Amino acid sequence: MSFTRMMEGNEAAAWGVKLSRVEVIPVYPITPQTELISAIASMIASGEMKAQYIKVEGEHTAMAAAIGASAAGARVFTSSAAQGIVYMEEALWMPPGMRLPIVMCIVNRALAPLGGLRPDHNDSLLQRDTGWIQLYCENSQEVLDTIIQAYRIGEDKRVYLPVAVCYDGYFVSATATPVTVPDQEEVDRFLPPYKHELYSLMPEDYRRPQWGTNIAKARYEVQKAMERAKWVIEEVDSGYKASFGRGYDGLLEEYSCEDAEAVLITMGSMTGTARDVIDEMRGEGKRIGLVKMRCFRPFPSEELREMAKRYHAIGVVDRNTSYGSAGGGIIAVEAARALYPLDDRPLLLDFHVGLGGSDVTMRQIRYMADRVLEALDRGRIEEEVEWVELIDLGEVM
Amino acid sequence: MDKEKIFEEHYKRSLIRAGTACCPGCGGPLFWRMALEALGPRTIVYGDGPCAYCAIRNILVPTFGIHFSFVADGATGIAAALAAKGRNDITVVSSAGDGATADISFNKVSAAAERNENIIQICIDNEAYMNTGIQKSGLTPFGAWTTTTPRGKETPKKRIPMILAQHRIPYVATVSVAYPADLKAKIAKAKGIRGFKYIHSVIPCPTGWRFDPAKSVEVVRLGVQTWAWPLYEVENGIMRLTVKPKARPIEEYLMAQGRFRHLTREEIELIQREVDEERQRLLEYDGKSIIH
Repeated sequence: MSFTRMMEGNEAAAWGVKLSRVEVIPVYPITPQTELISAIASMIASGEMKAQYIKVEGEHTAMAAAIGASAAGARVFTSSAAQGIVYMEEALWMPPGMRLPIVMCIVNRALAPLGGLRPDHNDSLLQRDTGWIQLYCENSQEVLDTIIQAYRIGEDKRVYLPVAVCYDGYFVSATATPVTVPDQEEVDRFLPPYKHELYSLMPEDYRRPQWGTNIAKARYEVQKAMERAKWVIEEVDSGYKASFGRGYDGLLEEYSCEDAEAVLITMGSMTGTARDVIDEMRGEGKRIGLVKMRCFRPFPSEELREMAKRYHAIGVVDRNTSYGSAGGGIIAVEAARALYPLDDRPLLLDFHVGLGGSDVTMRQIRYMADRVLEALDRGRIEEEVEWVELIDLGEVM
Repeated sequence: MDKEKIFEEHYKRSLIRAGTACCPGCGGPLFWRMALEALGPRTIVYGDGPCAYCAIRNILVPTFGIHFSFVADGATGIAAALAAKGRNDITVVSSAGDGATADISFNKVSAAAERNENIIQICIDNEAYMNTGIQKSGLTPFGAWTTTTPRGKETPKKRIPMILAQHRIPYVATVSVAYPADLKAKIAKAKGIRGFKYIHSVIPCPTGWRFDPAKSVEVVRLGVQTWAWPLYEVENGIMRLTVKPKARPIEEYLMAQGRFRHLTREEIELIQREVDEERQRLLEYDGKSIIH
């Protein structure tokens, strides 16, 4: 039976894993992901969840065991954060090339040395070239729903790619928000059992994809799968909405964008705060809207281009750093490439904020939104990239 | 039946195909032919790593590998998937070379042993990183020349089988391709035991050890006869020597290989003393528990 109660992001993730009938779970603890793996351990210990739970000795092994289990025909889940993700890096390149639809939660946390325990997005964004699909969640409900969707997306034979479900440590992982847990039978109808058409390691039915010697061709296949994933993500999300009454607008969600001339693009938990700021500004008659980037890989280039025909100034909020980049944070650089082919390019501003997990405040969001509107009014940009935390905005609110 | 027919019949039953990419005289294909006779076709072999993989590519049971730095980990996942599907009719074997086992993935082997994963972990020990061109590993013996120890290795070989035995896993054994019956019996025994089994096999390497490829089996047989490579098993903590030859001088084994040719008289005597001490210890504990 479906029910609703307050739940932290990590607990909601555990419910997503349980409802997805995951069979093998190799995991290693790291803050702020630990409550997720303890919640799963409790569910297994109490008998309400059936899965092989492997307490491995490190993240490199967690991903390797996930790879072995996935190739051997089991639905697999793992999760990590920050240093764990970086330690796992060698293994992370394997599932996309091997076309194994593993689902992993990345509970975002800033990397050492200039980090801490709180979130920014460098740990997951660092993996942007590996071939993992990356979906970012705003709250507990979205985490649960996205995990179920992630299995449908990754296991779709048009895709066969691993999916990272990312959510901010603490702000999402340890903050309780209302969550509706769907009925198991309904989830079973939405998510059929895992069956990989390319793999079987069973002696009676042994088959494995052969890449041959044309490496470029094999890589191109991954690229095509990533491109196809865009409409599979859209399709799965609308299917989910039809079944469960909740959807997330696929790749990008436009919030309060009617008649807007400018937008801010946010990702992850800060979106919730940004919604309030945009509501407030709308009340003042400002023509600014909000775009939540739910899917970073595959990057929603066409969708962004389509939007840019309507919005003449775009402010990207980058909760990451890319030292010495072409200009600004990782999302801004990607967005610039996406927008470049347009004849009439919008003004593109970039803001570094929330680095090392510091709060992204309403005042900071207001500042960024004002700067975008200012650029729109003047028809030009004063500063392409701003480090918002270095600007004195007065009292924190 | 004529000779050719006998060979053909045997080859048909064998679970390894000819034409491996291994060097002439490599003990790898030999090992896998014998091991698979004991394991049978309902086996999944997990493992990668250059040298070992040259033979594994030609075996006729399902194989899956990730990369050289991935030992026992993927096999853990495969075993878990089989458990999730209720398949207890399949043996999962995880294979790795000496460098992978003793160096880069030592933690992985140790952790899989501690978790008592239901797999057979095999160490294909040719005593150096051979595929990259003969570099020293943690299992290169004292005194051996490699391209990174041009004056001979300064420290002794890690005692991996004994270290694994101290993990209190159900079964540990050393084997040699020069003793096929012993090798097959140990692998067959491992197949029948639940939990983590560790098999450590010496693999003669004419390329890296510097000897005539025709003498591969002869050289590793000398290894056993001189007690450089004692053959034993540790079952539930009880150590048992399975072959107890009259000890021949270690010099015979060392001088059969170019990698030891530079050793001085003193160094050879030192190695002889160490081998003697180890033999005494093994004989003393033969049939007794080594878990304290």
